[in-house]
Amino acid sequence: MSEDLTQRHSAFRFHGSWQEFAKIAFPNLLLTIVTLGIYRFWATTREREYLWAQTDFIDERLEWTGKGMELFIGFIMVFLLLGLPLIVIQLISQGLIFRGETLIAGVITLVMFLMLFYLSGVAYFRALRYRLSRTYWRGIRGGSDDPGFGYGISYMWKSFVGWLPIFLLVPWSMISLWNERWNAMSFGPHRFEANADWKPLMKRYLLFYLVPFLLVAGIFTMAIVAAASGDQLGAVGGAGMAVGGIIIVLAILSLYIILPLAALAFYSKYFRLAVGGLRLHQLEFDFRARAPDWILFFLANMAIIICTLGIGYIFMPYRNWKFFVDHMEAYGEINIDELTQSETVVSKHGEGLLDAFDVGAI
Amino acid sequence: MDTFFNVWHYDGRSAVRRKVEIQTIGRQFFLLENERRHGPFSFSDVEYVTRKENVDVYGLADVDGWRLMLSGPVPTELSELLPAHRKYGGWVDRLGLGKATIAFTLASAAAIAVVLLSPQWLAPLIPSSVDKKLGDALVGDFGGRFCSTPAGDAALKKLVSSLDSNPQDLQVEVAKIDMINAVALPGGKVILFDGLVKQARSPDEVAGVLAHEIGHVREKHVMQALLRQMGLAVVLGGVDGNSGALVNNMLAMSYSRESEAEADAHSMKALGKADISPVGTASFFERLSELDGSARSGDNGQGIAGYMSSHPLSRERKKAFEKSIVKGKNYKPALTATEWTELKTMCTQDRKAKSGFGFDFE
Repeated sequence: MSEDLTQRHSAFRFHGSWQEFAKIAFPNLLLTIVTLGIYRFWATTREREYLWAQTDFIDERLEWTGKGMELFIGFIMVFLLLGLPLIVIQLISQGLIFRGETLIAGVITLVMFLMLFYLSGVAYFRALRYRLSRTYWRGIRGGSDDPGFGYGISYMWKSFVGWLPIFLLVPWSMISLWNERWNAMSFGPHRFEANADWKPLMKRYLLFYLVPFLLVAGIFTMAIVAAASGDQLGAVGGAGMAVGGIIIVLAILSLYIILPLAALAFYSKYFRLAVGGLRLHQLEFDFRARAPDWILFFLANMAIIICTLGIGYIFMPYRNWKFFVDHMEAYGEINIDELTQSETVVSKHGEGLLDAFDVGAI
Repeated sequence: MDTFFNVWHYDGRSAVRRKVEIQTIGRQFFLLENERRHGPFSFSDVEYVTRKENVDVYGLADVDGWRLMLSGPVPTELSELLPAHRKYGGWVDRLGLGKATIAFTLASAAAIAVVLLSPQWLAPLIPSSVDKKLGDALVGDFGGRFCSTPAGDAALKKLVSSLDSNPQDLQVEVAKIDMINAVALPGGKVILFDGLVKQARSPDEVAGVLAHEIGHVREKHVMQALLRQMGLAVVLGGVDGNSGALVNNMLAMSYSRESEAEADAHSMKALGKADISPVGTASFFERLSELDGSARSGDNGQGIAGYMSSHPLSRERKKAFEKSIVKGKNYKPALTATEWTELKTMCTQDRKAKSGFGFDFE
């Protein structure tokens, strides 16, 4: 019994509707407010339950089996083990500054920063692991046996190497970390293989990277030309200055518009490459959204949030998931008989420190 | 027992989907698939998982990925044996959304009320040794910024004794920092900044400010604020970043306004007892009000600035101090001319004291 995916239109399909989602999102908002935010862990869980259940992979819906309590316990643990020590350390370093021990205070702050940086790497890893271990398809789930502490170290040094040559190796560090993360994950008996190449990403990155320089250079040349023409005309010198001023204003505005567009263009290519390099046994994945899709998606999100005076924000999980599923594609074959249960560990509650420290998506 | 609705089953070991029929025997059941029989399973182990499309999904305790999926009309004799659906999560489902909302609102309001009101009677319960240790830990020798000359110290001591009947448990210092400010800290510590002393036109002005800070110490405002901040941080810890911080600041601010008014009242009383004229303090606030702009805001001074700022408007405070002048009372200067000069020049004379903050951002 095997499924040939090449004949199908798309392996992933989303069946949800925003009206149905609203019936979940609005009570969630209400309960989150009256519980001073504590309900949001259960709110997230309900939203994911809905979104996963509305997502078809081939011929069966996904299932989200995470629990609000897991996320809550994770939050409490992070608060006790991280938040409180941080507050104490901050008090101590403030006291040290008061006493003039600025060097020691600086060292403490630096160590604190490094620790947080390390833990956020671990958290990225564990968030992905948590999501896979709570995602079921045909009774089979994903996961990882790697606790992610090693990944935290990689996250530190790879990010650092990415920044070192004036941020030019950021694409390498992003792709390399993506590959490392996904290579540690599995679904059922199969391990993910992530072999994305970072070099094709460089052109887009340079585009984003050089935008500010190009714009500044452009402003200068135009301003000089305008000033020069103003000089020659003498009497119209004021007008020349005015034109120069307008150009500068336009340039600053375009910086605010062009820079985010360039960033989106880069991110779109990054995500396409990263997903494109992903394999699961005989399955290959693809993400079809291109830069214009991303740009439209973000403009629509902003329009929704602005036009609803911010309330539309509660629909963002829906929009993000829909965008993700709508553009995901898988090719290849799955042998259903071979797809057996994952052997990876799942402990019942919160899985230690950071599993439920549920930062950003994939 | 034959079933006329659809039942599908995943055994959690492989992804093969099995069309089954449920055979109920008392509190147990088997799943019949062609010639195979799965089970027996106990109804008490069955858990509700989720609902996808028109399918209710059930799992089995301790069997990872085991699924029973029912679609179509479920026979009542079966549905009575199955666990209830979960919608919002345990408590909310039991109470219903409306009642749960009311209950959560009341609980939240109670929690905030406790956090806001309890410091008033908790603060006096904290032993003064703890208070003292906290103050020492926080301030120490203030990085060697305290100024000291024999004559200046004597003048300061005289001023403190005239304003407070138990000066031995206060530690008042002048710090070599060029800011018009003074602070009360845990452990009875009061720090006058040299900038304030230098710009004061009479010792009476310094006396008023000092009495205000002593008021904070005597009313235990510092410990109260500390407890309140800690409590709010815990209670509002569940709320997302910005909105939580905003609410927190608004609440803390309204309380600190109250504290400021109390400290002012304390100051006026102390000045009256010491026969020091409040005129100096009033004129100090007059000069401050020119700095903070409240002099320009017309007669309806209680505008947004007055509501939002932690200190009552300088102009309001000036009026209050002016009102406390008792006509015909024989006021005497807080310090003699020589004492006042010594106090004013203490930080200039003391060359050993370090100046500034070491950092410029404070």
